[in-house]
Amino acid sequence: MRKLIPPFCFLLTVLLISCVNQDKNKGDRKEGQKDQLILAIGGEPDNGFDPTTGWGQYASPLFQSTLLKYDQDFNIVNDAAVDYKVSEDGLKWTVQLRDDIKFSDGEPLTANDVVFTFKTAKNSASIVDLTNLSEVEAIDSYTVVFTLNSRNSTFIHHLTSLGLVPEHAYDNSYNENPVGSGPYILVQWDRGQQLILKDNPYYYGKKPYFKKLIFLFLSQDAAFAAAKAGQVDMVSVTPSLAEEKVEGMKLLSLKSVDNRGVVLPFVPNEGKTVNGRAIGNNVTSDIAIRKAMNIGVDREALVNGILKGYGTPAYSIADHLPWWNPESEIKNGGDLEKAKEILEDSGWQENKNGIREKNGVKAEFTLLYPSNDRTRQSLSIAFADMIRPLGIKVTVKGKNWKGIEKELHSSAVLFGLGSHDPLELYNAYSSKVKGQGYNNSNYYANEVVDAYFEKALSATSQEQANTYWKKAQWDGKTGFSNKGDAPWVWLVNIDHLFLVRENLIIGPQKLQPHEHDWPITDFIENWHWEVNKKRSKEQ
Amino acid sequence: MTELISKYLPLKRSEKYNRRKRALATSIIGALILLALVISGFFIGTDGLVVNFEAANNAPSLQHPFGTDWLGRDMFVRTVKGLTLSFWVGLLAAFISALIALLLSLLLVLNKTLDSLVTGLIDLFLALPHIVTLILISFMLGGGLKGVVIALALTHWPRLARLLRAEIMQIKNTEYITVSRNMGKSWYWIARHHILPHLIPQLIIGFILTFPHAILHEASITFLGFGLSSDKPAIGVILSEAMGYLSSGMWWLALFPGLMLLLMVAVFDSLGRNLRKVFDPFKGQKG
Repeated sequence: MRKLIPPFCFLLTVLLISCVNQDKNKGDRKEGQKDQLILAIGGEPDNGFDPTTGWGQYASPLFQSTLLKYDQDFNIVNDAAVDYKVSEDGLKWTVQLRDDIKFSDGEPLTANDVVFTFKTAKNSASIVDLTNLSEVEAIDSYTVVFTLNSRNSTFIHHLTSLGLVPEHAYDNSYNENPVGSGPYILVQWDRGQQLILKDNPYYYGKKPYFKKLIFLFLSQDAAFAAAKAGQVDMVSVTPSLAEEKVEGMKLLSLKSVDNRGVVLPFVPNEGKTVNGRAIGNNVTSDIAIRKAMNIGVDREALVNGILKGYGTPAYSIADHLPWWNPESEIKNGGDLEKAKEILEDSGWQENKNGIREKNGVKAEFTLLYPSNDRTRQSLSIAFADMIRPLGIKVTVKGKNWKGIEKELHSSAVLFGLGSHDPLELYNAYSSKVKGQGYNNSNYYANEVVDAYFEKALSATSQEQANTYWKKAQWDGKTGFSNKGDAPWVWLVNIDHLFLVRENLIIGPQKLQPHEHDWPITDFIENWHWEVNKKRSKEQ
Repeated sequence: MTELISKYLPLKRSEKYNRRKRALATSIIGALILLALVISGFFIGTDGLVVNFEAANNAPSLQHPFGTDWLGRDMFVRTVKGLTLSFWVGLLAAFISALIALLLSLLLVLNKTLDSLVTGLIDLFLALPHIVTLILISFMLGGGLKGVVIALALTHWPRLARLLRAEIMQIKNTEYITVSRNMGKSWYWIARHHILPHLIPQLIIGFILTFPHAILHEASITFLGFGLSSDKPAIGVILSEAMGYLSSGMWWLALFPGLMLLLMVAVFDSLGRNLRKVFDPFKGQKG
């Protein structure tokens, strides 16, 4: 027993010391107005900060600036450009640049840098897909002309998402030492730990209030603990932690198109394979099954149960975006009776085990989810349970992405999408891209939809393109939404949740895309402290 | 006279509750507890596993003795199912590793070179940290039930093999083996008829004592994400899921499954130790 006393004393001392430390941190919180922010919002990019290999595709690139950008309502506004024109045939895009932009090293940004950026991105094997770009050339120091292979209205997305890199300062280590013309410059990056940014003195746009940003890469739990200890100013949280009260912080919930849905193999399994992977599934290829599941699943219950109300039911791939067709919304979801009726009418009869059968095929299939994603796991389990009363048995399996890829075309998979680029619709539903990587993995094909896609891509204006994107979803007769062929069961859009300092104002945000990079920092130049409230609190 | 009493009294008492009887009784109780755990896993219905958002995140109550998780699934049902799975994984892994240990240790009888090879192999495996080898093998085999069982089987034999080897060494030098050899019996015959029967108690006890190791290691590599996939009702999965909810104060998600795992392992351990006292009284008392 006596032997136990020294370690016990030691433990007690350690506990006491750690308590003292925590109190110190709490003191920090009440310091005056500082112009630095500490953020623990995850999302450390594996490949660094090179836009030509994908950095900033989902959000503002922070270190670099783009030619154009979206405002909060998805209108296109100028960033590094002052004007852009599209020729009659839609093949030539002429962009006029601002002449007062300097990179963070003081060198001016010219048309040559833009040309270099797009050429580099085109030649890089990354998610930046510029195959349609045939040529890019500089007419004079501040004018760039892009020539396309075929007319494509979504090309504008590249102008809004591709950050411009300097030709003179670009080398193999650029992804770790980005030099750009964006609002911030990189000071230090400790992989897996932290990223320190300071403001760019040469930035041409609105100067951000915060001179220094520190991104901490913490696990969910550590981040939450840090928030509780008052060590961070902004932290991303899961719905289960959102209800927790943290002193001095408020919950910020941003609506998103960060959606989750179940992709269902569209073709029957006829023994075909691609790269050794089977194609098709005999159960989900039946439209009655797909429609019944779309009607039978109670999305509100998923939102309330799994997301604790921090989300919205998802009816399509692009809810509430300018190219969304509102007709695809399902009224009174979770209607099991109607779903059963659809199944009965098409000949799916329940057997004695409560599983439906049609022509000897049992209504059973596997639903795969990436096993490290808690939300997708919960959604998969809940979806399978909700569908079970219909007489459809869904077996839920968690795998890593490599394992999922093996069954990508023959099993249902719980996917997440959501982009500010309508090209995502094409990539998910066009028969031209079926089976290419994760594009159209369920081999969906509809000639009418394909025709609308062609028209949307070759439209001359955004509005015209959007009408065709909408028609591809549902034109009154057919389409890729749940009203038409229903090749997906979309489930929920996930709100992006953050705990932020009570007096930090970040202004209005646009609908958040899929969770990559840091979409929340899109309008970082508008962030500031709420002055009055802070003072009155301190008195 | 008093001297005589004080000399015999403790003996008399120990006659009633001697070590052997105590060990036997404890073993039987342990076996019964284990049996109850495993059999209840079979008979408990899956009703508690249905997603029920209304009953989500409930603290332990009479209706849900272990509480419910964030999908409203009953933690008691999940825990019992998890223990059953752990039991079968442990059984399979312990059986295979006992078999490997036996076969490899018997090589000593046959051939000196083979034996030194086996000794080297034992040293190699014992020199590597268990968990690292486990993760490596399980990862190589792509995880899942197959990966875990093979990894467990391949990493848990060395201790037992060394024990058996020492035992065989001792037996091999006894006179009756020499006599038997002189009578022209082959080493194979001797191994079967003279050595194997002596090894049986050691083997059974070793097998049972491998169990808790295997179960704990299964839970830990599953917890680390290299073992059973997250759709399986394994304790490791439950525990790693619970980690995400600890900071929101849902202590019951980790506490009860963890305690039950501990209980199962402790019962197995005491069963093994007590059986050793019964089967192998001389050595068993030392440990």
